[in-house]
Amino acid sequence: MKGYWSIVWKRFTQNRLAVVGLCIVIFLFIIALCAPLIANNKPYILIYNDTVYFPIFFEYKEFSGTDFKKIEGYKIFPPIPYSYSEYDLTAIVLPPSAKHVLGTDEQGRDLAARMIYGTRVSIFVGFVAVFIYVTIGIIIGSMAGYYGGWVDIIISRIIEIVMCFPTFFLILTILALWGQSLLNVMIVIGITGWTGIARIVRGEFFKLREQDFVLASKALGARDYWIIFKHILPNAMAPVMVSATFGIASTILIESSLSFLGFGVQPPTPSWGDILSQSRDFIDFAWWLTLIPGLAIFITITSYNLVGEGLQDALDPKQYR
Amino acid sequence: MKYYILKRILIIIPTFIGITFITYLMIRLAPGDFTSLRAGVEGELKAGSLSKEIFEQEKKLYGLDKPVIVGYAEWFYKTVKLDFGTSRKDGRKVIAHIADALPITLSLNIFSIIIVYIISIPLGIYSSIKKDTLQDRIISLILFLLYSLPSFWVALLLLKYLSGGDYLNLFPLGGLFSDWFDQLDIFQKAADLLWHLILPVTTLTYGGFAFLSRYTRATMLDVINQQYILTARAKGLSEQKVLFVHAFRNSLIPLLTLMATMLPGLLGGSVIVESIFSIPGMGMLAFESILSRDIPIIMAITSISAFLTLIGIFLADIMYAIADPRIRLEATQ
Repeated sequence: MKGYWSIVWKRFTQNRLAVVGLCIVIFLFIIALCAPLIANNKPYILIYNDTVYFPIFFEYKEFSGTDFKKIEGYKIFPPIPYSYSEYDLTAIVLPPSAKHVLGTDEQGRDLAARMIYGTRVSIFVGFVAVFIYVTIGIIIGSMAGYYGGWVDIIISRIIEIVMCFPTFFLILTILALWGQSLLNVMIVIGITGWTGIARIVRGEFFKLREQDFVLASKALGARDYWIIFKHILPNAMAPVMVSATFGIASTILIESSLSFLGFGVQPPTPSWGDILSQSRDFIDFAWWLTLIPGLAIFITITSYNLVGEGLQDALDPKQYR
Repeated sequence: MKYYILKRILIIIPTFIGITFITYLMIRLAPGDFTSLRAGVEGELKAGSLSKEIFEQEKKLYGLDKPVIVGYAEWFYKTVKLDFGTSRKDGRKVIAHIADALPITLSLNIFSIIIVYIISIPLGIYSSIKKDTLQDRIISLILFLLYSLPSFWVALLLLKYLSGGDYLNLFPLGGLFSDWFDQLDIFQKAADLLWHLILPVTTLTYGGFAFLSRYTRATMLDVINQQYILTARAKGLSEQKVLFVHAFRNSLIPLLTLMATMLPGLLGGSVIVESIFSIPGMGMLAFESILSRDIPIIMAITSISAFLTLIGIFLADIMYAIADPRIRLEATQ
C-alpha cells in the first residue's frame, strides 16, 4: 500500500495549485490550533514584583479579573493582544491601524482576534459534520452494495428521498425548532449530507464484490463485516476521500450561510458568517468588516476545493480533465 | 413507454410521503412543542401567561393532541385537497401566501437556470475543443474561483459597490419593482423588472457556471472518444458538423437530467438571495415562517418544493427516455 500512496503523493505534488491549497489548509489548521497563542489579552510572560508568570498557560489567583494591559512590569504579548470577546466601546468600528491590524467591529472588538477564533469554528464544523456523514454514508452504502437485493432496494429508496429534500430549508427548520447550537448545526449537516458518499460506496461495492479476492475470503470463511471493512472498503476509499474533501468545503459554506442568516453559533463565539452578517449595518463605510470575513471564507473554500481536485486527479489519472 | 411513465409516477408517491413525513416528525418531536416555542417567540403570548384553553385549542388545531401517525394522516389528507391551513402569523390562507410567492421564485430560478445553460454550455464545448491549452486552463480556473465564492458575500459586495450610492448607483437596493411601477407602460415595466433582477440573478447564476461547463466539457470529451465520432471524421465530415451534430447532441442527454438535480438546491439559494435583495418569493417566505415558527407554512413549503423537485426528476427521466432509444427499449421491456 505504501507504494500506491507514494505514487498518489507524487502525482498530487505535481499539481501546483493543489499544493498551494494544501499549504493554506495546513496554515489554517495551525491558526485554529494556536488561536489562544496568537490572539490573547494575556501576555505570554509577565515579570511582576520579581516573579515570572506565564498567564496564557496558567491561571493565577492574584490576577483573576485584572486587565493585564494595566499591570506595570515586563510583558510580552501575543501578536494580537486582544481576546475575541473583549469589547471596548471607545473604539467601535475603527479601520485597520497599527493598534488593530484588521480594525474593530461595532462593539469595539478586535476583528483580527475574532477572525482567528472564527477559523476554529469553520474547521471544527467542517471536519465533524463531514466525519458524521462519511461514517453514515459508508455504513449505509456498503450494506446496499454488499448485500444487494431488497436491502439495496430499500436503501436506494431512502437515498432518493433524502436527496430530494430541500436540505438547506430542513436545516433551518430543525435549528429553529430544536435550538441553535454548533452541535446541532454539525448533526443536521451530518444526517442530511450522507447520500453522496452512500451512492459512491454502493457503486464501488457493486464493482468490487464480484472480484476474486472477495470470493477467496468468503471461501476461507470470513464473516461479512470482515470482508466489508477489511477487504472491500479500503479499495473503495479513494473516491470517498475526494468527495469528503469537497464536502468540507461545502460544509464550511453551509455553516457560514447559516451564521449569516443568524442560525449558526451563539454569540460571543465568533464565526466568519456571523461577522459578515453583522457588517451589513455598517456596509457603507466599514469596508474591512465586509471584505475580510468574506475573503477568509472564499480562500478557505477555494483551498479545500483545490485539494479535492488535486486528490481526484492524483487518485484517478485516467479520467478526462 | 406508458408502463414506464406509470412506474415513474408511482415512485413519486412514496418519496413524497417520505419527505413530508420526516419533516412532520422533525417538527412534532422537537423538544417542547412548537406552540410553546411560538409563545416564547412572540411577546404577547408569554409561555406563562398563555391560558390553558388557548394552549389546548392550538394543540388541537395542529393535531398535536393525536398520535403522530394520525396527525400526519390528517395533514396528508388535507394537503391532497390543497388545504394547507392558515398562517399562524396573520391568519391568511397558506395557499394565498404560496400563490403570491411561488411564481416569483419559480420565474427567478427558471430565468437563472436558462442563463446558466446559455453561458456554460458554449464555454464547456469551447474548453473541450481547446483541451489542455492555456485558454482551457484559464477558463477552468476562473470558473473554479467563481464556484468557491460565497453567494451572500457577493450579494453584499454587489449591493455595496453597484447600488445605493457611495460608489456607483447603477442598480436598485432590492425588491422587484420601483415605487412608480404602476405609472409605467408595459415596456418600461419590463425594463424596470429586468433592472431589479440583474443583481439577484447574477448572484444565483455565477456559481452554477463551473459545474455545468465542466460537466459539458467532460461529457463532450467522453463522446469525442467514441468510435462513431471517428467514423464521422473518417467520412470526411467537417469538424463543425462532427462536433455539433454528432458529438454535442449525444452529450446533451446527461445535461438535461442535470437540470432536475439542480432543483432541490434552488430553494436553499433563494433563502439567502431573496432575503438579501428583499424579494418577496418562496425563499423569503420560508425564512420568515421559520423565524416565526409558522408550522403550516413550513410544511406547505417543504411539500411544494419536494413535489416540484420530484416532478423535475420525473420530467428528466421521461426526456432521457425519449432522447435515448437504449433507455426507451429497457423501459418498455
